[in-house]
Amino acid sequence: MTETVTEREPDGSDGATERYERRPDLPVYECEHCGRPFARESWLALHRGQAHPGALDDEEIASFREAHADEEADMRRFRLKALGTLVLVYFALLMVYAVV
Amino acid sequence: MDRRRRLGLALLLAGVTLAGRASAHGGSLDAGARDSLVVPTWLFLTTGGAAVGASFLLASFVTDRSFIAAIHDWRREFTVPGRRLLAGAVSLLGVAGLAAVIVIGFLGPDAAVENAGYLLVWVGWWAGFTMTTYLVGNWWPALNPWRTIAGVLPSLDRPYPDRFGAWPAVVGLIALVYLEVVGPPAALADTLTPPVFIATLAVAYSVVTLSGALYYGTSWFDRADPVSRVFRYYGRVAPVAFERATDDDRAGDDAGDGRSFRLRLPGTALSKPRLVDGRDEVAFVVALLWATTFDGLVSTPAWRALLRPLGVSDLAARAVYLITMAAGFLVFYWVYRLAVGASRDLSEAHVSRAELAYRFAPPLLAIAAGYHLAHYLGYFLRLFPGMVESFLDPFSASGTVLTLSLPDWFGGVGLASIILGHLLAIWVAHTAAYDRFPSRLQAIRSQYPFIVVMVLYTMTSLWILSQPVIEPPFL
Repeated sequence: MTETVTEREPDGSDGATERYERRPDLPVYECEHCGRPFARESWLALHRGQAHPGALDDEEIASFREAHADEEADMRRFRLKALGTLVLVYFALLMVYAVV
Repeated sequence: MDRRRRLGLALLLAGVTLAGRASAHGGSLDAGARDSLVVPTWLFLTTGGAAVGASFLLASFVTDRSFIAAIHDWRREFTVPGRRLLAGAVSLLGVAGLAAVIVIGFLGPDAAVENAGYLLVWVGWWAGFTMTTYLVGNWWPALNPWRTIAGVLPSLDRPYPDRFGAWPAVVGLIALVYLEVVGPPAALADTLTPPVFIATLAVAYSVVTLSGALYYGTSWFDRADPVSRVFRYYGRVAPVAFERATDDDRAGDDAGDGRSFRLRLPGTALSKPRLVDGRDEVAFVVALLWATTFDGLVSTPAWRALLRPLGVSDLAARAVYLITMAAGFLVFYWVYRLAVGASRDLSEAHVSRAELAYRFAPPLLAIAAGYHLAHYLGYFLRLFPGMVESFLDPFSASGTVLTLSLPDWFGGVGLASIILGHLLAIWVAHTAAYDRFPSRLQAIRSQYPFIVVMVLYTMTSLWILSQPVIEPPFL
């Protein structure tokens, strides 16, 4: 079951179109403004804030804020892990160069 | 010129000196050019791979959407006075170049390094001109001699069939690179010297291209012609677009009828959606990447060692090269599809594989450009003086050839270009992912499979670059 939707980019940038394919194995949260499907409710909330900032009601604005705050917390965790990996790679290579 | 700049120039001149004449013999123009390494190869490759992986992590620290968009939307327009005159002169230059390749190729010296036609193809055009297409901008539509010639000939202007798409270009590119690598059959080596072979190839290509243009008009150059497509794609990496400012990025970038040039940051045009639009165009980008790799791979000693137990004759070797060429392309395409599938799973997006494949194919062009620069910058600088000299007296053999000897540190430029190409690709893919996915973590996760593939590819490229160059064996 695949359905391909072709439509204009909501903000009209580049005049480009994007294609979607609804996957049966994922939940669908559809944007009521442009019809785009998302697999998580928080992604839909983020999308609404990014693509249709002028057309949101109070509840949608609140859910965007909440999703954004959650995303920010996730990003902080990711940055910490990324930084840890960088340091690890750097020192591992440094050690190897010292030995070789 | 201030003092510091004068000092820099003096240093440059001291480092790069004209160091005399190598004796001229045909065949490999650039054998033994790759440098030996101080650190063990495995460590060198690991470091290169780690540099690419680490830069992905660094890029993921840039998470401000509007900042990323601002970088990619930055552009300036400028006009060049006398542009039509310039385009006309460039077109004439292209036609004169084609004539030189054919005439000098057939009538000039037999040795490849002394033949101005042969050197023009490899040094002037495939090394030098190609570099300008990704470092400056794609001016092939103006230079393209076949386009100029087709312009004065009548055309049937039949509509180009959509179902053909870019497939003729994919097949054409693979065929051209294959012929370039294997050269003429050994039985004909006496009559088909390298310059004559290249001139023959130029005539054959002219017949095909002009027939295509006679039947389909200029859409032949926009869709089916492999050479035009290579330069159009490389031109997307470049900072200057010679196209009409109002056109979108998919429109043809014909230098002839635009009004102004557009300046952008290098590589930023690659993140635009719809740049690659179809399986055929993905296949072309992958073919371009594979063709450059194949070219390097067959001139490594490891390839010779691999072929030796087969004990192949000339004809069988040709078959082995052809099979490798085709199989390698399929493997590259399959690996890319695998990465796309993994990216789709990781990003949990309601998006087709095809859409992701189109979106993340253009960054590969930056990698291909970096790899091309690594291979051909040194080659170009070394042989350029010899090419200029060969034009002074194109029909007689001098027995010696002028070469520029490059300083030892120059090998580092090649490594740097490979890494730089990957960095640009990572950045462009990062931007495209941010543009495509609403969640930033989702965007980063979608890149993991591509980064794994890129790290592996960097290591492969660096390995090839670290190997001594030999003639493709058994041909």
